[in-house]
Amino acid sequence: MQGISAYSGIAEPEEIRTLIRLGKRLEGRSFLHVNSTTAGGGVAEILHRLMALFLDLGIAARWEAMKGDGPFFDMTKKIHNALQGQEAEITTQMWRIHREVNESNARRISLDADFVFIHDPQPSAFVLHRKNGLWVWRCHVDVSRPYLPVWKELESYVRQYDGAIFSGAKFAQTLNIPQFVVAPSIDPLSEKNKDLTDQEIRQALEAHQITQDKPILLQVSRFDRFKDPVGVIKAYQIVKKYHDCQLILAGGSATDDPEGEEVLARVREAAEDDPDIHVLLLSPFSDKTINALQRSAVVVLQKSTKEGFGLTVAEALWKGKPVIGGAVGGIPLQIHHEVTGFLVHSVEGAAYRIRQLLHNPEWGKRMGQMGREHVRRNFLITHEAKEYLSLWVALEHGGERVIPI
Amino acid sequence: MPKDDQKNKKGFKFFECTRLIQPTGRKARDLTELLSCIEIVAPGVIYHHTHEYYLKASIQAPEYPNDFAVWAAQDLEERALAEKLACLDLYAYRDIESVRQVLSKIIKSYLVENPQPRPVRNGEEFFFNDAVTIVMESGPEAKTLPSFIEALRTVGTSSIYFHFFEARMRLQRPSDDFSIWLEQDLDRPDLAQKIRKLDPYLYSLEGLRKEILSILQ
Repeated sequence: MQGISAYSGIAEPEEIRTLIRLGKRLEGRSFLHVNSTTAGGGVAEILHRLMALFLDLGIAARWEAMKGDGPFFDMTKKIHNALQGQEAEITTQMWRIHREVNESNARRISLDADFVFIHDPQPSAFVLHRKNGLWVWRCHVDVSRPYLPVWKELESYVRQYDGAIFSGAKFAQTLNIPQFVVAPSIDPLSEKNKDLTDQEIRQALEAHQITQDKPILLQVSRFDRFKDPVGVIKAYQIVKKYHDCQLILAGGSATDDPEGEEVLARVREAAEDDPDIHVLLLSPFSDKTINALQRSAVVVLQKSTKEGFGLTVAEALWKGKPVIGGAVGGIPLQIHHEVTGFLVHSVEGAAYRIRQLLHNPEWGKRMGQMGREHVRRNFLITHEAKEYLSLWVALEHGGERVIPI
Repeated sequence: MPKDDQKNKKGFKFFECTRLIQPTGRKARDLTELLSCIEIVAPGVIYHHTHEYYLKASIQAPEYPNDFAVWAAQDLEERALAEKLACLDLYAYRDIESVRQVLSKIIKSYLVENPQPRPVRNGEEFFFNDAVTIVMESGPEAKTLPSFIEALRTVGTSSIYFHFFEARMRLQRPSDDFSIWLEQDLDRPDLAQKIRKLDPYLYSLEGLRKEILSILQ
């Protein structure tokens, strides 16, 4: 695992200095993170890398994943979708199961820590079992327009925390606790983002019977309806009339996402046996493959209709690729329209922008360069780590607006 | 941190800072709502939306130097209003309450001429945020003009931001920290006056650093 010194020359020097100073201020203190899965999805990926950084800074960081059965994750997926605006009926009985699963996990995991981060709705009721320290609920979901009956129920837990973090200001709620905005991040040194040789890229593609003889369009994301993989296929089908290209839809499955198989089946149906559409169901340990796919693509898409943040956008921008993304959630924070990529609102919009980029690859390269710098300044893991430690200090100084340390 | 009562101390301590954004949960869909919120939000919120521009790590500077003007142009599509808001001379005001009053006056006057404001689409509302600033010492204390210049060359841009903008507007110091120190502790009112004549709102932080260095050298 890489320590803080490995990021010098990549992250802003001032950011590294600040992180080290904050680390000194919090050295020896304990920092617990709880989420719902150790593999699959952006949250687990970030936590994996953040732990290494915090430990290197001398903070006693610990990460625990809650356990649950199929019915529990079916229910929390419904909550997740409802927070993103979809109507859902979560019965009293279901909320009771939610509390019970949280309680049994809270008994299993030591919650003794100076600073506790609970990620997303699945373990949100852990707060009922808090012992000491400051507790923060970290929301990675697009809650800009939640389905209110479900949000209200969840809010009864959220109000018992000392603070809440959202990935963008537009997700903030009216709460009785301090709210903060912290964007998620990518690790430039991870297997998924580090530099690869041409040979490594070629080998990774060959392992999936993909050649680079036609321009590659790519979307990497879980097979989730809000990522709109079927919409991406429709956009590709429009583009295909004008450009001989290929489409790769690559995604893994997360243990806390039971809907993946159903969406994957729809994607395969929409692909209609087109040999130029590659649907790849990747294992959780496919970071190098994803890295190679992103580096081989000419255009990367993230055509989500709802999105907490969409880390795949930052990953692609970091690799110098122009990204076409849905103008939702955290995607506009990463895609500056016509600067680092294009924001779109429809299948047709995505198709038109793909055609533009295939027609004018130099434009795409320029966008990619701007995108890499944008990520370097705003979305590297050092930035997120700095924000979390700043937040810890801010909460300890409750209410002060200018805090000297 | 340099304090107003630090007159007898000779050195200058540079501080760097980092800001943490705090959403208030308030949002405005049209100009009337924007005005209502501007009139009641905490002073830190007005400060944040008029100063965030300078510390933001943007790859491309926004068209206008404050969030109200950018929103008026991009989301409300009220270009004339955006221009009036962009022209707000922040350096002419000593405190945030004065800035709030001017913003309010500009918007009210625009509403008299354009009484039926259009709402923006969902997701394009103006979201009101506050921010917490965490301040950290940066490097050794400068005790002479050459050591001050040397330190100024190497501190992060957040240090320029802190000593110019935060010091004056949020900490209510009479001017930027640099000119106070140069005048009071280094006995160089000539340099202090030149720095006070700069309009920091027209520079990027790097540009401001260069300008101050050229005055001092």
